[in-house]
Amino acid sequence: MSLKIVGDVQVGFPQLRTGYGAQTYGNTQPQTERATWIALDADGGITAYAGKVEYGQNIRTGLAIEVADELRVPIEAVTVVLGDTDRVPWDMGTFGSQSTARVGWQLRKAAATAREVLLTLAADRLDLPVAELEASAGRVASKSDGSRALTYADLLRGQEIEREIAADPPVTPASEFTVMGRAHKQRIDGIDRVTGRAKYSQDVLPEGVLYAVIIRPPAYGGRAKRVDLSAAERVPGVARVVEDGDLIAVLGEDDEAAALGARVAQVEWEIPAGQPSRFDLPALLVSSGQEPFVMQERGDLAEGFRGASLVLEATYFIPFIAPVPMEPRAAVAQWEGGHLTVWAGTQRPFGLRQELASIFGIEESQVRVIAPEIGGGFGAKSPYGLAHDAARLAKIAGRPVRVAFTRYEEMMWSNFRPAAIVEIKSGSTSDGRLVAWESVAYHSGDRVMIGRRGSETPYDPPHVKSTVYRSDSPIPSGSYRSLGAAVNHFAREVHMDELAAAAGLDPVEVRLRNLSEPRFRRVLEATAEAFGWSGPRMANGHGAGIALGIDVGSYVATAAEVSVQEKEVRVHRVAAALDCGLVVNPEGAANQMEGSIVMGLGGALFEASDFQDGRLLNSTFARYRVPRIVDAPRIDVRFVGDDTTPSTGAGEPGIVPIAAAVSGAVYGATGQRHRELPIQRYL
Amino acid sequence: MLTVTVNGVEREAPQGGRNLLSYLRFDLGLTGTKYGCGEGLCGACTVLVDGQPFRSCMTTVGAVAGGAVTTIEGVAVGDTLESLHPVQRAFVEEQAMQCGYCIPGFVMSTIGLLNREPHPSAGQVREALAEHMCRCGTYQRIERAVERAARGDA
Ligand code: FES
Ligand code: FES
Repeated sequence: MSLKIVGDVQVGFPQLRTGYGAQTYGNTQPQTERATWIALDADGGITAYAGKVEYGQNIRTGLAIEVADELRVPIEAVTVVLGDTDRVPWDMGTFGSQSTARVGWQLRKAAATAREVLLTLAADRLDLPVAELEASAGRVASKSDGSRALTYADLLRGQEIEREIAADPPVTPASEFTVMGRAHKQRIDGIDRVTGRAKYSQDVLPEGVLYAVIIRPPAYGGRAKRVDLSAAERVPGVARVVEDGDLIAVLGEDDEAAALGARVAQVEWEIPAGQPSRFDLPALLVSSGQEPFVMQERGDLAEGFRGASLVLEATYFIPFIAPVPMEPRAAVAQWEGGHLTVWAGTQRPFGLRQELASIFGIEESQVRVIAPEIGGGFGAKSPYGLAHDAARLAKIAGRPVRVAFTRYEEMMWSNFRPAAIVEIKSGSTSDGRLVAWESVAYHSGDRVMIGRRGSETPYDPPHVKSTVYRSDSPIPSGSYRSLGAAVNHFAREVHMDELAAAAGLDPVEVRLRNLSEPRFRRVLEATAEAFGWSGPRMANGHGAGIALGIDVGSYVATAAEVSVQEKEVRVHRVAAALDCGLVVNPEGAANQMEGSIVMGLGGALFEASDFQDGRLLNSTFARYRVPRIVDAPRIDVRFVGDDTTPSTGAGEPGIVPIAAAVSGAVYGATGQRHRELPIQRYL
Repeated sequence: MLTVTVNGVEREAPQGGRNLLSYLRFDLGLTGTKYGCGEGLCGACTVLVDGQPFRSCMTTVGAVAGGAVTTIEGVAVGDTLESLHPVQRAFVEEQAMQCGYCIPGFVMSTIGLLNREPHPSAGQVREALAEHMCRCGTYQRIERAVERAARGDA
């Protein structure tokens, strides 16, 4: 007895067969084209299914809010099932802030379809026209006589219905929202998280599990020359050792036995010589630049610069930084006959399923990937090779195997936000109007989409050319919140501040003079007002900075107040305005904005991953500083979008302007311009 | 025989230098206490020993023998909002979490802080939580949650 709403699975990402996802991972083809999105069972239980994963963006609550509103029930009535390849619609992966925009929309349509089915059933049972009925509080009732009503459970008794998501179902207009856009007292998973009941991949411990420690080279590119695991094998509690091609591991009955085994294992490594160090990085980025790609071109630069009375040229440098999710990666694999189950905190459960099937030469239907709660990812947990290792080891051992990164391993074997050099030359009139803009960016790594993101100027110079190169990456480059957008924005927005200073204009004024897009103007003006903007030098001796940007379709601006003492910058407060269209869950979106601002402060002020001869020099928290509570400013976030504009992302835009705002604020406090990150290294 | 009391249950302490965090998570299945760094620098593994916050990753079970260990699983009396510990409830009400991985540690340190100092100043709150890490950056909400719990408003 149930009602199932089924529909197309290909909604998870915009450029499905091309673009970012395809280029990055290849898992662009779903195995099944259709899936159940919403199910109502006979006792009124409502379950929504989505192929996304929860890694802190609060998508479980966000999706429950959307479904609850459409089905006229409280959010607690909705269960959301995520990230389990056996249970949820195929999805390419959780990245690019697409969950609310696309999957949420699909679920709203599915829920609206379900509501229509319930209304039709009620019309029949109550012998009233549909137009006379309304759904509310889990019942369908007569509009004129509320006592003539049936609960959803009553309506579904004895029914077995499957419906396709309607082409144009009556989704609720913004003016009639009762759950969306409202403040909610709590997340639907809040209690699980404060009680420790929420299960992360680190916490999955099947009966009979073996704890594996993988022995990895001390430097990138290292290869084992000689391996002697006999001492490891003799450690009490070590169940077995494995040397299988490049995979060297010690498996213990408990974690400490495995760790001790790995410590006493004798492995000699061959480390490729001549790997670049961090000091070689700026030159390397430029000299190894290849595949130039013109992101934006209009007018004629030469003509633009001829007409300029103010020409500025500057170079900006952004080093590698580490994503540092709180939960280091873990993966658990279990074989039952030819069937493989893997628990992994991956942002791409379906992509991982495909990889595992191809590694072992089995059908995807023989593999189940479950992404439990994920303790942060920020883009970095899309690649999840650790799960391949766990599955290989479990197959060899004939028992379930758990592999978990230590913090050091998570730092070393994750992927870093690409380093970049951005060269900008601008030409303006004496009153600060841009006439020409030329930017050339070099971002490390093969995945060109990363560096290209956010590299177009949103300002209005008539003559523009923005080019992005990809450069060699001495340490692994990968996805990080907003990809290259935060990096490109840092350079561009600091440059706008330089233009303001050169033209003797206020930083807000110079931006407004060059911006016609009303959504940019609105976020900038709202931020200036919320902050109480009065220029870079504040009366109390502190500095103020402001910057704007766009990412994942959302417009954002941020202002920061800082003071500088010796080598330490203190960020006192931050104000930000975001236009992400309709805000489904204001508290959740504010939380994301606050978090991305705090995260951005780390990269702005003190984070940088250092390396030499293929070794990572700061791979522990003692050496790699991330923002702590004492670094956290007061943050004021406003939403200035329009709730009739479709939702765009809220998880990434916050990080995009913050580093430039801080650089501008430090300039206000000290008079020193910071074109390199992290700022505290250059104070 | 050395014993250790965990969430009110007295147990025989394992022989040898068993790490306390591993013991709680893997031997007792109390996985609410998290591993974040293993070097005492992130606070994810915080438990209470005799009412005071303690980094379980940095110690052995033997070192706390005779003591009373409380983990995040041991502070609520039930699983409804009403039956949570007031500090837990304050975190829920302020939505002081994103991924939530750091949160058990913050909750335990906050309980410890309020045990010592029922009405902490803002500076004392920051100091007590200074060595915890929340990479999701929910610090502003965490501070509000601690204040709310201290006000008795949770
Ligand atoms: S895991 Fe113990 S302090 Fe980080
Ligand atoms: S909520 Fe994710 S680390 Fe704190």
